[in-house]
Amino acid sequence: MSNTWYLYLFFAAALVGAGLLGLLGKRNLIKLFIAIEVIGKGISLLLLSTGLAKASLLTAQALVVTYIVIEVSLVATALALIINIYRHKRSLDVRGLANLKG
Amino acid sequence: MILQTALLIGLVLFSVLAIALRDLLKSAISLAVASLLLGIVFFRMGAPYAGVFEISVVAGLITVLFILTIALTKSGEEVRESKLANVVFPVVFVAFLVIDALVMKELVGKVPALASGAEAPTFGEALWKGRTLDLIGQIAVILAGVFAVLALFRKRDKHE
Amino acid sequence: MIILFVVLPLIVAGLLPLAGKVSRRVLPDLLANATLLFLLVYAAVAGRALIAGGPVLKQSFWLGEAVGIRLALDGLSLLMLVVVALVGLAASLFSIDYMEHYGAKGNYYALYLVMMAGMNGLVLATDLFSLYVFLEVAAVASYALVAYGLGHDELEAAFKYLMLSVVASAFLVAGIAVIFGLTGALDFAAVASGLRELNAGPVLGIAAALFLLGFGLKAALVPFHAWLPDAHPSAPAPISAVLSGLLIKVSGVYALTRVFLNVFGLTPALSTVLLWLGAVSMVVAALLALGQKDMKRMLAYSSISQVGYIVLGIGIGTPLGIAGGLFHLFNHALAKGLLFLTSGSVQQATGTRDLDEMGGLAKRMPVTAATHLIGALSISGVPPLNGFWSKLIIIVALVQAGHPVFAVVAVLASVLTLWYYLLIQRKAFFGKLNEKWAAVKEAPFWMTAATVLLALLCLGIGILFASTVTTWVQPAADVLADGIHAVAGSWGF
Repeated sequence: MSNTWYLYLFFAAALVGAGLLGLLGKRNLIKLFIAIEVIGKGISLLLLSTGLAKASLLTAQALVVTYIVIEVSLVATALALIINIYRHKRSLDVRGLANLKG
Repeated sequence: MILQTALLIGLVLFSVLAIALRDLLKSAISLAVASLLLGIVFFRMGAPYAGVFEISVVAGLITVLFILTIALTKSGEEVRESKLANVVFPVVFVAFLVIDALVMKELVGKVPALASGAEAPTFGEALWKGRTLDLIGQIAVILAGVFAVLALFRKRDKHE
Repeated sequence: MIILFVVLPLIVAGLLPLAGKVSRRVLPDLLANATLLFLLVYAAVAGRALIAGGPVLKQSFWLGEAVGIRLALDGLSLLMLVVVALVGLAASLFSIDYMEHYGAKGNYYALYLVMMAGMNGLVLATDLFSLYVFLEVAAVASYALVAYGLGHDELEAAFKYLMLSVVASAFLVAGIAVIFGLTGALDFAAVASGLRELNAGPVLGIAAALFLLGFGLKAALVPFHAWLPDAHPSAPAPISAVLSGLLIKVSGVYALTRVFLNVFGLTPALSTVLLWLGAVSMVVAALLALGQKDMKRMLAYSSISQVGYIVLGIGIGTPLGIAGGLFHLFNHALAKGLLFLTSGSVQQATGTRDLDEMGGLAKRMPVTAATHLIGALSISGVPPLNGFWSKLIIIVALVQAGHPVFAVVAVLASVLTLWYYLLIQRKAFFGKLNEKWAAVKEAPFWMTAATVLLALLCLGIGILFASTVTTWVQPAADVLADGIHAVAGSWGF
């Protein structure tokens, strides 16, 4: 694997790490989902840079395009859930979602 | 390569800002800028289709969805983030970056790889002929998203 | 035309909103259930004939040119298609009555059919990324279905489920990217042969760990199980049945075993990991189930425990162990589906899921009590029901493979399982009739019919277990036991 792959991998991991840390520390529901979006960026960067390293950029782009479409559906569903939760509780605090014990 | 690295640093910076900023609107815009930078990174990698998609869909459509949600949930009380998390987050993140860099340096040259097979000549063929099943999957996931939103925003009868 | 399994539910789902406008009740019910019935018959009747001569590989063509749709129907995917169609149909029939007061039934059935299409696509895919895409299709539909009642608890459960599930998906795609980097390919056959050629050691371990994290979370294996006890009880009963009975098995167990056994190849290290994960899930979840007062929560913990059994069986790696694991997957899908449906009947009749508030319901709801008893006995492994045979096979396989301690643990966990199920049975159905429920009636027709159907299957398969195993389970187990060879040679398109 060429050296540039490791460079891209570093940044992709940084994005995923930042997102995971955000998920652990933040309380606002919308912020939590922004953290998930950041993880998604890291993953698409990983996919595409792997495609670059394998000289398969076209296939990798097809994968990333599909991944982004899935992401859009996810965002729509998640934000719909968040708006509904807000309607119930008038608050976006994740600590308010403590009814169920898990 | 230098410009690419600068763009990547900017990408990580704006992503972290998107998570860390207190004002939700600024967060969303920060995320949009990060997506824009990622799109440019994709272009410079030689992946123009991914770049276009990233910019128009993620920086465009998804940002609009976020701003819509932020607008619809504005009047509630502001969520106070944990002060402890605000201090711990940057420290842990920097530590993570250091570990990340060290691991990557270690891995250089250690990942074996086979040469990949021949590719379709154009992006169109790679997508439409190479990953056709994924296209059916895309239609399915769009249907799922549409029906999900319709279900979650449906009118409820009074007696329910 | 195995692509019908994916495309037919999608087309009907697309038409359902229109059908919902034409006739609010009858047409959506009819269309959705007819589709699922058709798929069940197709899989059960035509499926076996199709695979009699080896796996069916379907390369689709469009205007004479080969197009990137490569589906494979072998023993394993056929078993999964049948179980998905069976439990899917039962829960869908149940929904005819149960979902009446939720509103927008056309929309509900549309989401339901998209979820079915996603599961079918996952099972038929021959490519790592396509498997992921259909996994997400089923997942997105399931998030909305869990939240369908729009009550506070449902929304909370759906949100937490979504969050954890999306993180799991991210790990999966990362694993797929690593595999793509190693082998330059994504389809099972090329990846399998590429990995063997490569001998990639630690990096393959990283990819395996990522897949384990991702699929393990989808399967709710301990310690990735935290989302399930909230999500499954809050969902409407037929959705709980499909989630516990099908989704965790299809996007979790099936995907895990297909990738680990047919693509990576089951190494002793992987086998040990699976054995331990399975055993821990089995025991921990059973213990946690004991303390539950909410009927559906107890069932949810039980699902985690039984998935542990399935992974334990498959992790043994021997043909007998794999057969036991797959047979238990099939049986548990039927029995757990049945139990969630009966709990839905109880919840609709009494308005509560709290076991302490119930009592003596058998007098007013005898059919529900009877079918619930059959489901409970099946999961606890009481002869002559189906669950007994699958658990027995797993335990024998454990002993044969030289894991006597695991075998003893499995037996003890079974006893625990029987204990808490009898608890439910006693608290909810037997005993003195709580006066609150004096006016309660038996569940409506379709709800009862669905539970009776599944109960009869549990009984029937229990009695005819030998032929069920030889006809349906053995071909599937053979595919997995073949390891990489099942895929590398014969799946080259």
